[in-house]
Amino acid sequence: MILRTFSNLCAQSQACFRSARAKSTLSAVIDETGKSGLIMKSLSTDIFENLALEDWIHDHVDLQNRNMLFLWSNAPAVVIGRHQNPWQECNLQVMRQKGIPLARRRSGGGTVFHDLGNVNLTFFTSKKNYDRHRNLQVVTSALKGLRPYMDVRATERFDILLNGQHKISGTAAKLGRTAAYHRCTLLCSADRELLSAVLKPTCQGIKSNATQSVPSPVKNLLDEDPTLDCDTIVDSVASQYNTEFGFSSPVTLVDPSDELSLPGIQRMARELLAWEWTFGRTPKFSICTTFELKNDTSICNATLNMDIKNGIIETCDIEVPSDWLPVELSREFSLHLIGT
Amino acid sequence: MAMRVAFRCLSANFSPVLIQRCRPVQISASRLLWKANPAQSLSTASRLSTALKFTDKHEWVRVEGGIATVGISKFAQEALGDVVYCGLPEVGQKLEQMEEFGALESVKAASELYSPLTGEVTEINAELAVNPGLVNKSCYEVGWLIKMTIDNPAELDGLMDDCSYEKFIKSLDE
Repeated sequence: MILRTFSNLCAQSQACFRSARAKSTLSAVIDETGKSGLIMKSLSTDIFENLALEDWIHDHVDLQNRNMLFLWSNAPAVVIGRHQNPWQECNLQVMRQKGIPLARRRSGGGTVFHDLGNVNLTFFTSKKNYDRHRNLQVVTSALKGLRPYMDVRATERFDILLNGQHKISGTAAKLGRTAAYHRCTLLCSADRELLSAVLKPTCQGIKSNATQSVPSPVKNLLDEDPTLDCDTIVDSVASQYNTEFGFSSPVTLVDPSDELSLPGIQRMARELLAWEWTFGRTPKFSICTTFELKNDTSICNATLNMDIKNGIIETCDIEVPSDWLPVELSREFSLHLIGT
Repeated sequence: MAMRVAFRCLSANFSPVLIQRCRPVQISASRLLWKANPAQSLSTASRLSTALKFTDKHEWVRVEGGIATVGISKFAQEALGDVVYCGLPEVGQKLEQMEEFGALESVKAASELYSPLTGEVTEINAELAVNPGLVNKSCYEVGWLIKMTIDNPAELDGLMDDCSYEKFIKSLDE
C-alpha cells in the first residue's frame, strides 16, 4: 500500500495553489485529483482533532459523486453518542484519575472506549449512496481475506461479532444536508481492562430519556489470533475498500491540525472540547436516589432529588434526618448546589 | 381555503364527539374546493399536507396566526426509520433560514434539522421527549417539532407547495 503525505498529493496537483485562493485547500486538491474514491489516514491520535476532521470532511468535501474512507486511531478516550448522558454511560471519576478525556460525537449511537488498539473507519458517501451493510462487508471481507477461518459477521444492529458472541465493531452514523458518514470501530488490541473500568457507570438513580448504550461483551482480534497486528488489518481494509468500490486509491496521510489546508478545523476541535458541548448537551435528566449516612453510632438514609438541565443543576432537594443535619442547613446546601 | 379555515375554527370549539361527526363535512368541503379549481390537484398523501409548504430538506411549514409550525415530511420519516430521540432547540432561540436547529436520532443515524425560516422559537413539542415515535406515526399532526415566529414572510414564497414537493421527491428517485 503506497502511503503519500498530503503535501505530495498537493504537489502533483497542478491547480492546487490556484484553487487554494478560491476555496479550502484539502477539498480543492481532492477535486483536482478527479478521483471518485479516496482513502485518508490521520496523523493525529487526539480524539478532538480527529472528530473535528471527520466533521470537516463531511461539511467541506464534495461527496456527491465521491466516496471516502477515513482511517484513524486515538490515545485513550471515551466517546459518547450525540444524545447520551455521560453520567449514565461511563465512570467519570476513574476517567479523571487516569487522564482519559470524554468526547461527545455529532453522530448518534452508543458509548465506546478508544485507544491505540482500536481503529476507526469512517465511510463518507452522498446520502443516496449511504449503505452501512456494504461498508461492513468491506471490513468482514478484509478480515476473512487475512484469516479465512475467522467467524466474523455483521448483525442487524450493524455490529460485527466474532464467533457469533463477542462484539469487535460498533456503528455510529450521521446524515447531513447532502452527505452521510458511517463510522465503525474495530477492536484490534485495545486495553480491555481499562475499557471495562471506564465504561462502568457509577451514578445511581438517573431518570432520563437520553439514548442508552446496549452493553455487549467484547474481544480483540488479537486475542483471537495473536499473529495479527493493527497495521496489517488496516492495510487489508483499505485494500478491500478499493476492491469493493472499484477504486485504486493509495492511503493519503492528513494532519488534522493543519489550519491552512483545513480552514476552520481548529475552531471545530475547540467546540468539541468545550464543556458546553461534552457535558452541556446532555438531555435533561433527574436523579432520585437514597444513600447511606454512617457514623460511629448510627446509620440512616438521605434522599436526593435533582433536576439537571444542560449539565447544570436546576433544582435540588436533599433530605437528611434532622438529627444529622438541621433542616435549614440541608436547605441551604441544596440551594448552593443549584447552578453548579 | 377560507371555508376550510372557518371549519377548523369551528371544530376546535366543539367536543371530540362532534368533530367525529363533522368529518364527512370536511371531505365535502374539500371536494367543493376541488370542483371550483380543478387545476389544483389534491395529493392523496394527506389532505392536511395541502396547506403545507415544504423545503428541499424535507421539512414542512404550516402557518397559522403568524406562527409557523415545523415538522418533517412523510418521505423524511420513512427514510429516517424509527426515531428514538428528538434533539430540539430552546424556546427563545433565534434561527436563521437554513441554520441547523437540532437533530433526530433514529436507528439509522443522527439526522440534522435545518430551519425553514428566519424567526424565534416559541414552542417545542414536549410530547416528543417521552414519545419520539410520534414523528413517525403522525408526522403532519401531533408529531410536529417546533413553532416559530416568521421574521421574513417572503421566505415562505421560496418554499415548495404540495405538488412541487411531490415532484421533487420523484426526481430524487431518478
